[in-house]
Amino acid sequence: MSISAPRYGAAPVAKTGRIHRALTIAHREFNRRSGVGTVAVVTLTYLAITLVLTINTSFASLTGTVTLATFETPYSSPAWPFLMLIVATSVGAGGLAEDVGNRSITLYLSRPIRLIDYLAAKSAATGTWLVIAAVGPGLAGLAVVLVLGWAPSSLVLTGAGAFVATGLLACIFFTGLALALSSLTTRALYAGVAIFGVVLSLEIGAPLVSGITGNTSVAYASPINDLLSVAQSAFGISGPYATDPATSAVVLALSGVFFAVFAGWRMSRVEVVGE
Amino acid sequence: MTDGLLRTDSVTKRFDTVEALSNLSVELSPGTIGLVGPNGSGKTTLLRLLLGLLAPTSGSLSVLGRDPQREPLLVREQVGYMPEHDCLMPDLSGVGFVAYMGRVSGLPRETAMSRAHEVLEFVGLKEQRYRKIREYSVGMRQRVKLAQAIVHDPPLCLLDEPTSGLDPEGREEMLGLVAALSRLGGRSFVLSTHLLPDTEGLVDQVLLLNAGKLLAAGPVARLLSSRTPETVIRIRGDVPGFVAALSRKGVETRTQGSELRVVLPSGDTRPIFEVANETGGQVRYLGPSVRTIEDLFLSLAEEAPDQVAP
Repeated sequence: MSISAPRYGAAPVAKTGRIHRALTIAHREFNRRSGVGTVAVVTLTYLAITLVLTINTSFASLTGTVTLATFETPYSSPAWPFLMLIVATSVGAGGLAEDVGNRSITLYLSRPIRLIDYLAAKSAATGTWLVIAAVGPGLAGLAVVLVLGWAPSSLVLTGAGAFVATGLLACIFFTGLALALSSLTTRALYAGVAIFGVVLSLEIGAPLVSGITGNTSVAYASPINDLLSVAQSAFGISGPYATDPATSAVVLALSGVFFAVFAGWRMSRVEVVGE
Repeated sequence: MTDGLLRTDSVTKRFDTVEALSNLSVELSPGTIGLVGPNGSGKTTLLRLLLGLLAPTSGSLSVLGRDPQREPLLVREQVGYMPEHDCLMPDLSGVGFVAYMGRVSGLPRETAMSRAHEVLEFVGLKEQRYRKIREYSVGMRQRVKLAQAIVHDPPLCLLDEPTSGLDPEGREEMLGLVAALSRLGGRSFVLSTHLLPDTEGLVDQVLLLNAGKLLAAGPVARLLSSRTPETVIRIRGDVPGFVAALSRKGVETRTQGSELRVVLPSGDTRPIFEVANETGGQVRYLGPSVRTIEDLFLSLAEEAPDQVAP
């Protein structure tokens, strides 16, 4: 043990602001989630989407039929939303649950930050991973297409916009969902199972109830259906989905915001209950 | 607002039907303060109110001249908090964790890292600072909790049960660390504990709580000297009979463990020997009481028997 107390040789330093402190939390959270599992899933997403996109575009370019719809191929099946679901579970399930579980939330909130800063930091970290997984692969595939000259740049730019729009929508929804369910438990595993359970239950249940009752609006409850509907619309395709793409987009965005607000409310309660 | 360290003005905090703090009004100046009371007496609630983590049901508080409800961030920049329970981040190394908490407290990266090394050396974790916290023992965890509380050099540290879970040696070392920091000056401590001996010789002010109510607050020396001097007696024989006989003679008596504590009018010990003669009891020891914070707490709690911790 040291025989003298710390004297902090350096002169008093200027403190950083709230944004910097929140970014510190976001940075740690981002790094904390960069485990082998997350990197593997994201890499798989990049490979799958980039390959499907480039291969399909290369064939279309041979026949001179490259259109905006050509870029939609990776989104033509539920595989993409499922990959997003896996990434969201991997990076978001433990975001709040682990801090509540090991009670480090108390340390965070005793620091000069507000709860909203903490939640924004956690959302930013989860959201960044989801953006990397949801937007990045499409843009990477389009970059290959552009470099190889398989499509005009204006079309590639429009396609990039479609990838960004659908990717951000997926990011908002899955980030909110992951935070909300993570705030309900003290274990990442439980939150992960809940994220999967909720999305898959809605994917199976919504069309079933919609079919039985004949009420098509129930189909909006399926986030995967909503995402695919929006994606096809963004790429100029009239999909087979019963939902209106614009309404699906609003449902996804509002759901994400609602879930995030719920997570905030829940975390504000955790501190009081912890007393 | 005053320039004092802490001030509470008629603060009450209620959780549903439980009143954790009741009409608490105290004013404490900078120094080392013992926040003392049994479990459930409202110590942690008070600390959380001071940090602005909870809002009082009624009343107002001031920490370093600021209202924690109105200016929570400014208060928390000036305060280091060591929670009672385990709340560490097991995946981080000791130095990584302390530096991280320094950065979340507003220190630039390089400063946070250099201070983390400095405080970890001070708390005796220099050799273990690169190990993951999950590998730390209970004593090491307590030390790293203290380190994170002081890394940003706050003028006030709130230490919630810092000796909790420590063996006697670890307890002595932890109290030694607090004493060393306290001696350095320029930094105040609030040491919350239910172990009254932890505060002896360490704190210069004390705030005694029982069942959410204030028993006493102020400088230790003044509180101890303000009480009527007592005489300690150890008796062999019929102790209840001895006590009853003393009471009949108008001598105020209370029993503490195996000892009797009596207040003798003008220091005259004759009533004791008269009673011993009457009851056949043997006076094995008789001497002036050395007052401690524990004595003070026990006597005050005895005077307010309705205040029973939930």
